[in-house]
Amino acid sequence: MRTLIAFLVAIGSAGALRSPAAQAPDARPDALRFAVIGDNGTGDRYEYEVARQMVVAREQFPFEMVLMLGDNIYGGQTPKDFVQKFELPYRPLLDAGVRFYAALGNHDNPGNRFYQPFNMGGERYYTFAKGNARFFVLDSDYLDDKQRSWIDDSLKGSRDEWKICFFHHPLYSNGGRHGAQVDLRVILEPIFTRHGVDVVFSGHDHVYERLKPQRGIQYFVSGAAGQVRKGNLRQSDTTAAGFDQDQSFMLVEVAGTNLSFRAVSRTGKTVDSGVLQKGPRP
Amino acid sequence: MTRMQRFAASHFFAFPIGALVALIWANSQPETYFVFARAWSFPVNDIGMVVFFALVTAEIVDAVSPGGALHTWRRMTLPFVAAVGGMIGATLAYFAYLRTGDELSVLSRGWPVAGAVDLVVGYVLVRGIFRRHAAIPFFLLLGVAADLCGAVVVELLYPVAERHLAGVALIAAGVGIAVAFRRAGATSSWPFVVIAGASSWWGFFLSGLHPAFALVPIIPFIVGHGAGRSTMSREDGLSRFDRIWSVPSQVGLLLFALVNAGVMFKDIGTATKAVTIAALAGKPLGMLAAAGVAIACGLHLPRGVGRRELVVVALASSTACSFGLFLATAAIAPGPVLAETKVGALMTVGGALLALTAARVLRIGRFSPKPASKRTGHESARRSAAPRSLAGV
Repeated sequence: MRTLIAFLVAIGSAGALRSPAAQAPDARPDALRFAVIGDNGTGDRYEYEVARQMVVAREQFPFEMVLMLGDNIYGGQTPKDFVQKFELPYRPLLDAGVRFYAALGNHDNPGNRFYQPFNMGGERYYTFAKGNARFFVLDSDYLDDKQRSWIDDSLKGSRDEWKICFFHHPLYSNGGRHGAQVDLRVILEPIFTRHGVDVVFSGHDHVYERLKPQRGIQYFVSGAAGQVRKGNLRQSDTTAAGFDQDQSFMLVEVAGTNLSFRAVSRTGKTVDSGVLQKGPRP
Repeated sequence: MTRMQRFAASHFFAFPIGALVALIWANSQPETYFVFARAWSFPVNDIGMVVFFALVTAEIVDAVSPGGALHTWRRMTLPFVAAVGGMIGATLAYFAYLRTGDELSVLSRGWPVAGAVDLVVGYVLVRGIFRRHAAIPFFLLLGVAADLCGAVVVELLYPVAERHLAGVALIAAGVGIAVAFRRAGATSSWPFVVIAGASSWWGFFLSGLHPAFALVPIIPFIVGHGAGRSTMSREDGLSRFDRIWSVPSQVGLLLFALVNAGVMFKDIGTATKAVTIAALAGKPLGMLAAAGVAIACGLHLPRGVGRRELVVVALASSTACSFGLFLATAAIAPGPVLAETKVGALMTVGGALLALTAARVLRIGRFSPKPASKRTGHESARRSAAPRSLAGV
């Protein structure tokens, strides 16, 4: 069964100058709010600046968790690296009780799944539920039969209102460096459409891109929370919006049948925003 | 021409044609290509390739039979040592390259790919360089040994599924059936393939081993007459098997290339570079080092094969293409890591250019100012051209 998503509003565009506060979705008490970062773990000043912007955004948009789309720690993977590339930049969020949920990227040691603050439970792929949404986290480096069966069964068994998947390599992307992982798409997309996945977040390409809905699924590429490839987005007829001029992250709110999203640059500009509304499941 | 050489020659065009079509298709219509590749992956990789590896096994059985190139340990030792050295060299280079970045833990499964040797491409290459020369069978023995090592490593370290003991029992049953057929004097290869082979295939499938190797333990029981049978008899079971399955095997190899060689050029990544460097530099250096040690320990190169020829053979063996692709698909699950590794396996075709350049610089084979037969000795050329010509190996 395919979930129907209707775009009620899709406002904002690359380079739009609006503060996060001005665009913060209404704070509904029952809403689930989270941030999304991808390819963030550089440990350089840009990662720290994005992290600071997330702290600022949280004052107006109190998100309770952060989805990490992979490449969470670049370079060395020693305890010192975890401090410099994760614990220090996100210390204010960690201290405030924000939980991080990580997917593995190609620069991540698979052993990082045991790092407690990533909340992976020691698994390469896992699922968790928050509010009326269930999240499915995949290891897109190796999509073996076992993982394929797992995601098929897990999605099938989910009765949650929103089904949200996130993993590192994008099924759709117009990033010039990597682009879409078509070999993964032909495996995963039929499973996603069969079981009514609503939204997919990926990274890998160091840009922000919102794709036009593909087969009823909304895809986002958000891989610029640490590194950015300026000018690398090759917009095509599948691009709905994009931003490749600075680092960025996303803020998302799930409230009932609405999912509001906003992409925010390192300097606090809203570069894209909109609302998805679920239609009835056919 | 030996049966091994005929095998390589007959299969030469299958892989390049399939690979070329796959590359064009994957880079022009990727979605339709990957849907096709996914749909055909199982029948081609797990069933179709059974025939190909059965024929390779038949060649090995041929080689270890009395009169064969690998008969007696003395003949097989040096190419085997060189093959192991090549694998070690490729592995060291692979991991050394990965250690310069931060993707080692994710890409570590790709190391056996760089150690593979494309027997078909390599054979045509060395044949083109040396024409008729003892270096040709030496290359083939080295390649078979390297691929055998790679296959064993992948089967042991990277099973395609969870292991079930029932699978081992089915393999044993298949081998038992083959033994019974042989004792009963069965001369046709069909009972071995259809009954014993089916049991073995199901056993491989259940045990997590790659089913493409299902006929490997069965083939040795099909009655043959050793290396000389190509001239002595055309009617033994193994020869009939060879004749019946040669064309299907070529079709299988073509389909294998079509299904597996379709990679997108954008997928060049760290694994691509690691495989390419390991295959083109680490493997030949490892082979040369191992061969040097073996020679220092008292082993001998085949007559007519000197240091310069050895360098060219080592470089020719750096092409991993078809068997490299097979090991990649056997060891690595679908995804970007597999895609990057596959591109690397295909890029090792550059080894052919290195071998040709080395032959030209070293002025050997067809680039020699004198006819090879005069320089290496008429006797060695004559010996290498005959079916049982590997006494010097």
